[in-house]
Parts: sequence; structure tokens; C-alpha cells
Amino acid sequence: MFHILLALSGGERHGYAIMKQVEADSQGKVSMGPGTLYGSLKRMLDAGLVDESDKRIDPEMDDQRRIYYRITGLGAQALAAELERYRRIVALAQQRKLLPRGFYVA
Amino acid sequence: MSPEHRAVSRLYGRLLGLYPRAFRERFGESMQQTFDDLYNEHQRQAGRAVLGFVLRAFIETALGVAQEHLLLVSAGGVIRAVQTLGISALISFLLVLPLMLMQLINRRGLNEEFPLVLFIGFWLAPFAIGLMLLPIARAWRRGTHRRPNGRTAHTSTLLTNPVSSAAISLGLLLFTLMQVWLSAVGWAPLARLLNGPNPEVAYLPGQLITFGFGLLPLAAGVVASRPIVHTLRAGGSLVAHPFHLILVLGLASLLAVGFGLLLVDQWPCFVGVPNCD
Repeated sequence: MFHILLALSGGERHGYAIMKQVEADSQGKVSMGPGTLYGSLKRMLDAGLVDESDKRIDPEMDDQRRIYYRITGLGAQALAAELERYRRIVALAQQRKLLPRGFYVA
Repeated sequence: MSPEHRAVSRLYGRLLGLYPRAFRERFGESMQQTFDDLYNEHQRQAGRAVLGFVLRAFIETALGVAQEHLLLVSAGGVIRAVQTLGISALISFLLVLPLMLMQLINRRGLNEEFPLVLFIGFWLAPFAIGLMLLPIARAWRRGTHRRPNGRTAHTSTLLTNPVSSAAISLGLLLFTLMQVWLSAVGWAPLARLLNGPNPEVAYLPGQLITFGFGLLPLAAGVVASRPIVHTLRAGGSLVAHPFHLILVLGLASLLAVGFGLLLVDQWPCFVGVPNCD
């Protein structure tokens, strides 16, 4: 869910575009299929973390109309909270000098 | 779209058809589009194995189908299932209890072991009938307080769809009939499976398998009752699926007749006739 929220933080995307963005954000380490993606999207829609927009054509793809998903205010809060949790963990690791050489956090 | 792509896409559509209806209606079209987009991407990029992608996508989606069906089993559904099991078990025990007491009292001077297996058989028949008919009775009671609308949302379609549930229950019944027939003709592999290498010695795995086979008609009855329960809960009619109703009542009647015949056969034992068997 974190990866999907992160992918949607850059703007509205349809299913295929979310997958590609997640793959790019994770440098290919996270790859999900349609079953995982839409199962997660259903739970995120139910929880109010994301919202769906009307169908429209993606000019970079074919002429099929696709449903786009966008992050909601609640979703943005959840993403910020998760990022803050990561920031604290990294700060703690930095404090304890656990970070590898060359790893710098401002 | 190439012929291969069209064929795989159609097959994927069939797989999407196995999702619960509510999920399918909401995401089915988008999932199909996403699958086609991914297929096109793999086809465009030379060197990327399309077959590997198709296999992965089908397995991953099949797991998603199973997960969505499991998520529909709500806490309320589990409680209802436990209640049905408990009430059926209790009613069956109360039916069998007088017979057990008669056996104990009337045969106390005959120096015989208590026939536990016989009473398990006696207990199982009304228990099985209860498992089939109790959910129907509860759904009917609940449905009478609801305005008829023909269907409820967010339920598993595999067991509530009349066609798929009929196919599953008939498959279970056919399997049972086949097993009975093969036993009757003495098919050696089955006899070995059920009786073990030495038929003279009790074979526990075989007894467990026989018990499992015995549960299949019950499972068929429970599966056949699901569309009726689903329709009644939605305020629909008891005869909305006449074939299923006939199937459930037929199985319940069969079990009731079995219970009755066993009772008539064993009655002398309950009233204390010596050498009754």
C-alpha cells in the first residue's frame, strides 16, 4: 500500500501506470501483478486512502478509456506518517552510526 | 491484437469471472485492461518472456481470487457456521440420547460392550440433516423481515451461483457414487486403499478415508443449499432454485430414511432382546 500511495503522490494514474511507477520508484525491486494491485486498491478505496476518477483516455497509450486513481487527503496523511516513521528510524540508525559509509541524511 | 493475445486475454477474462461478483463488477474491466497493457509491453520488448509473464499473472490473479473469496467470510459468517454446527450437534445428541439410555438400562445385565460406533451413526444422520436444513430455516426467517430484492451484494459467487454450486454438488455426489460402485465391484486399488495390505487387520488410514467419503454427500447437500440460503436471505422465494431444493430435500430424506431403517433394525437391542444382532 505504501508503494501505491507513493506512486499516486505524483498525480492521478491508472492501474498500469501505477505498476510502472511502483517498479520505477523501487528500482525494479517491487513488481506487482493485477491481482495484488487491484486487491490493494479495493482495500485502499474502502479505507478512503485513494479515490477513483471518471474514465478517460491516456494519450500516451491506446484509445481505451481507463479509470484513474488519486490519493485522498487521508491517504496523503497516511503516507506522510509512514515516511515520518522511516525518517525516525533512519535518524536513529544515524545516531547509532549504523548507516553504511556514504549514506547521508540531512 | 494478435490471435495469441486475443486467446490469452479471453482466458484471463474467464479467470476474472471467478472473482466475487461485487469485486468483478468494480475492477474486472480495469484488470483486463491492465493485463492487456502488460502483455503488449512484454510483446514489444524483445527478450522478455511472454509465457513467463502470462503464467505469473494467471497464478497471481488466481491467488487474488482465492483471497477475495476468503475475505468475504466475515466474522458474522464464522459465528453463524459455528452456531449451525453446535445447534445441529446438540439436536442430534438429544434425539439419540433416549436410545442410548434405553440401551444402557435394558441391556445392563447382558455383559456387552456399549456400541459406540452405532450411536455415532445414529448421531451423524440428524446432524447432517441439520447442517443442510438449519441454514435454510434461518435464512427464511431472516428473509421474511426483508423486502425482496432478489440478491445480496458482497457474497461469494462460487457457492451462491446456482449453476456453479449445482456443478460442485453433483460432482461430489458423482464421486461418491463412483466410489460406492467401485467398492461394490471390488476394484482392487480402492480395496487396497480402504482395507490396507491385510484386509483381516483394522486399517486406520482406510477407515479415515471411508469416513471422508461418507462426508461427501453431506458436503454436496450443504453446497446445494447455499443458493437457496442466499436467495432467502435476500428475501427471495424458497422455490427460486427448484432443482437445488429437490437436491437438498432428496439428500435429507435419504439420510432420514437411513436413520429410520437403522432404528427399526436396532430396535430389539434398545428394548433388551438378547442376541438382538
